[in-house]
Amino acid sequence: MALSAMKMKRRSFLKLAAAAGGAAALGKYFKYSGAELFEPVAAQEGGEKVELIKTICIHCSVGCGILAKVANGQLVDIEPWENHPINRGRLCSKGASIPASINNDRRLKYPMKKEGGKWRKISWEEALTEIANKMLEIREKYGPDAIFFAGSAHVSNEAAYLQRKFMAFWGSNNIDHQARICHSTTVAGLGNTWGYGAQTNNFNDMRHAKSIIFFSNPAEAHPVSFYHIYKAKQRGAVLICADPRFSRTAAQSDLHLQFRPGTDIPLVWGICYEIITNGWVDEEFVRLRTHGYEYAKEVILQYPPEVAEEITGVPAEKIKLAAKLLAENRPGTLQYAMGATQHEVGTHNIRAFAILQLLLGNAAKSGGGVNAFRGHDNVQGATDLAVLSNTLPSYYGLSEGAWKHWAKVWGVSYEWLQGRFASKDLMHAKGATMSRWRDLVLAEETGDKIGQPTPIKMAIFWGHSTPSQAGTYLVKKALEKLEMLVIVDPYVESAAALPERDDGIILLPACTNWEYPGTVTNSSRQVQWRNKVIDPLYDSKPDVEILIALAHKLGFGEEFTKNFKKLPEDIYDKEIRVGARVIAMRQSTWRLKRQEEYDYVFNVETLRAEGGPCDGEYWGLPWPCWNDEHPGTPILYRNEIPVAEGGHDFRAKWGTKAPDGKTLLSGINGHAELNPDGTPGPGWKLDLTTDYKKLIAANKVPYGRGRARLWAWNLPDPVPVHREPVWTPRPELARKYPTFEDKVYGETHFRIETKGRSIQERDIFEKEIHKAYPLVFTSGRQVEHQGGGAMTRANPILAELQPDMYVEINPKDANDRGIKDGDVVWVHTYRGYELGHYRSRIQVKAKVTRRVPPGVVFLPFHWAGMFETVEYTQRFPEGTKPIVIGECANTISPPGWAPETQMQTTKSGLCEVTKAGVIPEAIERLAKA
Amino acid sequence: MPKKFLLDMYVNRCLRCGGCMAVCKTHNRTPEGVHRIRVITFDEGEPTETNMPMPCLHCNEPPCMYVCPTKAIYKRKEDGIVLVNKDTCIGCGYCLMACPFGAPQFEKGTFGNRGKMDKCTFCVEPYEQKDEQGRLIQREPKPRCAMVCATGHLLAGDADEISAKLRERVGYRMSRGVEKTFLTF
Repeated sequence: MALSAMKMKRRSFLKLAAAAGGAAALGKYFKYSGAELFEPVAAQEGGEKVELIKTICIHCSVGCGILAKVANGQLVDIEPWENHPINRGRLCSKGASIPASINNDRRLKYPMKKEGGKWRKISWEEALTEIANKMLEIREKYGPDAIFFAGSAHVSNEAAYLQRKFMAFWGSNNIDHQARICHSTTVAGLGNTWGYGAQTNNFNDMRHAKSIIFFSNPAEAHPVSFYHIYKAKQRGAVLICADPRFSRTAAQSDLHLQFRPGTDIPLVWGICYEIITNGWVDEEFVRLRTHGYEYAKEVILQYPPEVAEEITGVPAEKIKLAAKLLAENRPGTLQYAMGATQHEVGTHNIRAFAILQLLLGNAAKSGGGVNAFRGHDNVQGATDLAVLSNTLPSYYGLSEGAWKHWAKVWGVSYEWLQGRFASKDLMHAKGATMSRWRDLVLAEETGDKIGQPTPIKMAIFWGHSTPSQAGTYLVKKALEKLEMLVIVDPYVESAAALPERDDGIILLPACTNWEYPGTVTNSSRQVQWRNKVIDPLYDSKPDVEILIALAHKLGFGEEFTKNFKKLPEDIYDKEIRVGARVIAMRQSTWRLKRQEEYDYVFNVETLRAEGGPCDGEYWGLPWPCWNDEHPGTPILYRNEIPVAEGGHDFRAKWGTKAPDGKTLLSGINGHAELNPDGTPGPGWKLDLTTDYKKLIAANKVPYGRGRARLWAWNLPDPVPVHREPVWTPRPELARKYPTFEDKVYGETHFRIETKGRSIQERDIFEKEIHKAYPLVFTSGRQVEHQGGGAMTRANPILAELQPDMYVEINPKDANDRGIKDGDVVWVHTYRGYELGHYRSRIQVKAKVTRRVPPGVVFLPFHWAGMFETVEYTQRFPEGTKPIVIGECANTISPPGWAPETQMQTTKSGLCEVTKAGVIPEAIERLAKA
Repeated sequence: MPKKFLLDMYVNRCLRCGGCMAVCKTHNRTPEGVHRIRVITFDEGEPTETNMPMPCLHCNEPPCMYVCPTKAIYKRKEDGIVLVNKDTCIGCGYCLMACPFGAPQFEKGTFGNRGKMDKCTFCVEPYEQKDEQGRLIQREPKPRCAMVCATGHLLAGDADEISAKLRERVGYRMSRGVEKTFLTF
């Protein structure tokens, strides 16, 4: 049935429906798709051929649908896609201005090369040959690990997957992307708690929540999610916002918990303390579906609301009220984003959130769960397909078994792959990360120990921005030291202009995501088909084609493209779908295209298709989607519905028994992971042929039915405890709650020597930098810009709506320093750990506002074009510099890395604000000392 | 039937995501500095923080129309949409002085300087686009700003359309929890 329905065109289906139900009924029950709604309008416009193409927004991870209006092969306008089940036509400023981003003459038009301080146009052939020759030369001289590949979350699933595969075939694990500095601690935190490190529910499901607690600012970062959040509010949900800023989300919330940056855990434990001591714990849920409650309880009881108040600054009364509201309004959902993840304790922040939801019994149900809102349009997909240095696609890790599994999918031998690597050890060792790759370049200067034979000599930035990386000074130095820098982007990313170098940079114009088709996974694990809207503009090329061309130049093109006949569908259907079994990313592209065609049959409340050819399917077939009959799993870990309907359970990932001897199998139908034939074993993730029909028919979950772990014995803190940020304004608390000891990072951590406690000792206790830099620094997003802003800051509409980089400062702090709203100010910080660079400052506009409390300043991070008060836009190729520029907030970000994932700390640093040109004496003294 | 914009002020929902402003500029291709709709914010960072999208309200008795010396501003009979005929507008700027809502817009440097006034057209006319015969392009009155509004704060259409949307919104609350509804309003 499924196949014949797929071939049926939408019109004929409508005709069929009309014949069955009568034309009047059709008008009443079927909402017309946007295409039909606008046909008469299109016809009016001069009789030209106007098409409306369904496609997906290229900015954030909500995954909004947009109708692109194309006339004579040109993108002329957009229309709201009113039947799209996620956004129903709603858009924010970024989505609504995409045509201006695509039809933009500031784009990089052709490959360019910097030679003798001048940018020169070169041909694709010349560019690729030069890159390939340099790569081979470096391989010869230093080995394959001397190259670092920064992949992207802004490409399709196919391109992201090929990026990982490319580096696997090249023979190095030095590949990473935005997810490292975005939600890597989510994967570690949630994965170590209940199995999968992804958003458990979805945007639409937030409608069913009775309470929502925010730990980020979706009103600015994911505005369209508020379409559903407001539905919940309209139905009486209580909104609680926990944020150091009084953000736009806080303005819409009923209760605001304004805590000091970096103190999420004591705040959550304060709430959990109330829940435990008042008997609001969902005892049955905890007993049947979790493990380690007594260990967690022991820790939580050390944080009564009064202690939490002392650490976080949130009045105990408010913490008690929040606990009461959450307990009385169940199910409630918890939402967070980068404000919680970008800390050295990021993993533990996320685990604390998961534990709160487990105690309340809010996990694994509609209206509950932990909703991690991701950043870029495909960061979930790029994480799943592992543009990451610590795993192969689908979270297989880097073990020999993992390599053998993927070698089988790729149709090459394990031995051949191993021959590509410098050594077997390096094949199984985690590679360099986005947060510290620059230290691997500068290892000789800094004297840091490295975990590979030579430092990095060449870097490829494939759709990754520079402003999002912490410590811009070191990034700049690293970009200057590389032998060659390759940047692949539709726009000229600031990495091309930041380094003061005269040659050795090659820019390749990739086309935007509306110029090549592909699949894209939004934050809720929903995979959507993104149609191509127009042909690539100028001389730009699709990522997939550039990667394949480069692979051919490097001599492994044949092996690389063995399974592909039809691009890009075959990448998904012949490889991703076959190999990505841990997360069961087994949707076929024809099903995704069919869903897109019959968008109107999906119920916006449940996201389930009712009738029509997709009957029973969930929108986007969220993984785990076990086979072509499976409807997808929109809400993770629901065990009350059959597996065939999207049910399953917490993963039995850590065996059947915990170290304390207690069972790790679920109290309801628990079983261990299974082979396809039903016997216990890991066969479910290694067999390339099974479609799990036998297991699903028996209502067995291939990866087992396990328990969520409140006690994760493999982490440095099995139960999260408070640890002060490395740079804390409260040294007395740092003595009681110190950051991680240096030894938890090991000798090298992701191939680079990493320190924790010793930095805190040196900077806070010895140098007492908090006296010269008394303000707490935190960073975040602006609604009009996305990521590093290369695209949005070059977009005339968005540049006009948000032209400013600023520092938000409380009137009290501003008045103490004689700063008025709109003044040009310097934000200073200490840089003791960077190559003798003792202080840094950025020049921004002051925005005096009560959004931030006294003692805290906030800076948006999307900006580039200035470095330490000096503009460097003259180094952009002519005509490509963004319309608006500003200082990069991460120039003054603090040190600190998460021991699980090497996440950078960017949300809790120290700084001082003065009028431009003023350097306070305390800072001078500290610099000289 | 007159078509109007309505801002749902019972529950202040606007987040200032800028969707309305951006889609207006994309769809109508207005130049820099011309904002047919603009969101303004009061009390930023205070508990009373309020965002307000400000389009042209297409008044029943438009002051801009009455003060226009060349009668360039007119109100369409069939749907009450207030439009400006750019061929007869002399850019004197009286309309901007008369309008209580700041709706009339002028391109940078053209105010009081023989520029043409531009204003919200309920999306029936893009910015100075004409077909081959020199006639203004006229489209369906479907304001894109209201269509893309993520939170449903901005409503547009005939009275019956707006009323139906508001009733649906409040009706849900009333049917599920009467006390709460009356407590909120």
